[in-house]
Amino acid sequence: MSTLLEINNLHAGIGEKEILKGLNLVIRKGEVHAIMGRNGSGKSTLSAIIAGNPNYTITEGSITFMGQDLLKMSPEERSWAGIFLGFQYPVEIPGVTNVNFMKTAVNEHRKQKGLPPLTAAEYLKMMREKMAFVEMDPSFSSRGVNVGFSGGEKKRNEVFQMAMLSPMLAILDETDSGLDVDALRIVANGVNRLKTKDNAFVVITHYQRLLDYIVPDIVHVLYKGRIVKTAGKELAAEVEKHGYEEFEK
Amino acid sequence: MEGLKYIPDKKFECNVELTGAEKFYVWDGVSKELPCKETEALQCNVSFSVPTRMKELSYRADIAAAAQEAIVITPQTDRLTQIIFVRDTLSAVSSRVRINCRESGEYNIVLCYHTNGNHEYSTEEQMEIIVSGGAKLDLVIMQNEGALSNHNTDFKIRVEKDSHLSMNLITLHAGKVSNKIHTLLSESGGQCNLNGLYLADGKQVIDTKITLLHDAPECASAQMFKGILSGEAKSKFEGTIVVTPKGQKTEAYQANNNLLTSESARASSDPRLVIYADDVKCSHGSTCGSVGDEEMFYMRSRGISEAEARILQQQAFAGAVLDKVSTPELRERISRLVERRLRGEDIVCAGCGKRCC
Ligand SMILES: Nc1ncnc2c1ncn2[C@@H]1O[C@H](COP(=O)(O)OP(=O)(O)O)[C@@H](O)[C@H]1O
Ligand SMILES: [Mg+2]
Repeated sequence: MSTLLEINNLHAGIGEKEILKGLNLVIRKGEVHAIMGRNGSGKSTLSAIIAGNPNYTITEGSITFMGQDLLKMSPEERSWAGIFLGFQYPVEIPGVTNVNFMKTAVNEHRKQKGLPPLTAAEYLKMMREKMAFVEMDPSFSSRGVNVGFSGGEKKRNEVFQMAMLSPMLAILDETDSGLDVDALRIVANGVNRLKTKDNAFVVITHYQRLLDYIVPDIVHVLYKGRIVKTAGKELAAEVEKHGYEEFEK
Repeated sequence: MEGLKYIPDKKFECNVELTGAEKFYVWDGVSKELPCKETEALQCNVSFSVPTRMKELSYRADIAAAAQEAIVITPQTDRLTQIIFVRDTLSAVSSRVRINCRESGEYNIVLCYHTNGNHEYSTEEQMEIIVSGGAKLDLVIMQNEGALSNHNTDFKIRVEKDSHLSMNLITLHAGKVSNKIHTLLSESGGQCNLNGLYLADGKQVIDTKITLLHDAPECASAQMFKGILSGEAKSKFEGTIVVTPKGQKTEAYQANNNLLTSESARASSDPRLVIYADDVKCSHGSTCGSVGDEEMFYMRSRGISEAEARILQQQAFAGAVLDKVSTPELRERISRLVERRLRGEDIVCAGCGKRCC
């Protein structure tokens, strides 16, 4: 299987504070990875760095994505190349409607591919389809991005955006937290339906329950900025049962 | 000699009196929707293809304006009346506009200010607005002039018993603009909303000075002024709300927010409240900021380029004022013009050298 993403000896942090301390990770096409780890272990930091958040500084190491040096790319270039981050805390943008936001995003992606922008009707059709996919009410499209959305609605909106952009590599940062069982099923179905042999998913979670719906091929435990254990899906059950302690020696 | 007058059969319920404009065009008596589509605008203006009386009015308006005589226009309810002032060859003009709404009914008026060419036009304008007799006036003022223009307007506004004024002042483009707005709520039940959006770049300067006087009980006022400044543009906002001892149960709000998109743009804001009554609800505030980093990263992570993300944010910022324009077609046109302005594109309507919205 061909490699999508390769992280080598990544050291990174914010300001003077080092958060990731020599992290290695390889993700191939067709794989679903789960990353588990205590709060503060660096999961969101890793996601943010892959997506290109400029607040973090990389002090050592490399990330390549489909053969390109990812660290040289701007956040939008990474998105165009096929990276998607489902935010742990989706950002509210008052005054920018969901429909304007996603239409702009979809058309920027099309522009990069040399395609003309979608007409209003084409866009609407696509949007309705993908909203139905995550059982989201069309009325959300005219509201400000994430403004006044409940926790669960924000997470569904992330999955909707993922469906609109059909990324090569999607990282879902605790998309399951704050979701009830129904919402969890909807999110998981979304992921399962988007999954192909050519793309890959990284699911960051604390709970086995999401992984009952999205079955991972590989599970990692992150501890103090390093991956300390990598195994098959049985690792998730083990973490759920015994906690993180045994990996933290 | 008496000024040229356009007098309909009915007695005046509302009239607009103009003096001293260099040239202007009027759209009146058409439906509430805008008189023509963008692409038809030029044709409509030049050939006056819609109601004949329009043609006559506009034709005579030219002569009257040049002759410094007053001309009177009577807007009808449920219709949008658009008056377009065009600066052409004269370098300096003193003009006067009086809007007098005296009987109940809803009036929609748009005043557009335009310059042809890029001369150093200067305009001294007196604008008198009286809303009374339970009338509701929705007034949109579009200032869209060349970069060397210098436009000073003195507004004197009076809102009387149970009457409403909603004014949206859009400064889309101009060299140097000063809007001094003096507003009096003189009788109970009056309501006055003053909203403004100013966009400035280069070395443009926008001054807004508002005094709003609550001199009667149970009146409400709300002011929202927003500015987007780039380049070396400067804005100054001074706003004072005075509630006299007669102003019990006043509700008054004022906000001035500025978005600076360059290092050297400057905005100063000085909102003030002076209250002599005890049973009032008043608030005021101002902010001056740049674009939020978190929002920016979120948008970029979806593939929206930095430049495009900035435009989305600026449109959102301006949107709060544009939402106050009540005629949907007009709101949409102005929004489109604002977007073009933010993108640095040509902001004269397609196919028209005079109408901008
Ligand atoms: N903006 C920040 N400034 C300083 N420290 C931060 C910042 N964001 C995260 N951290 C720290 O980095 C560590 C990792 O955080 P994070 O990546 O959010 O962990 P996780 O997602 O695994 O809970 C934590 O110790 C956290 O306090
Ligand atoms: Mg986290």
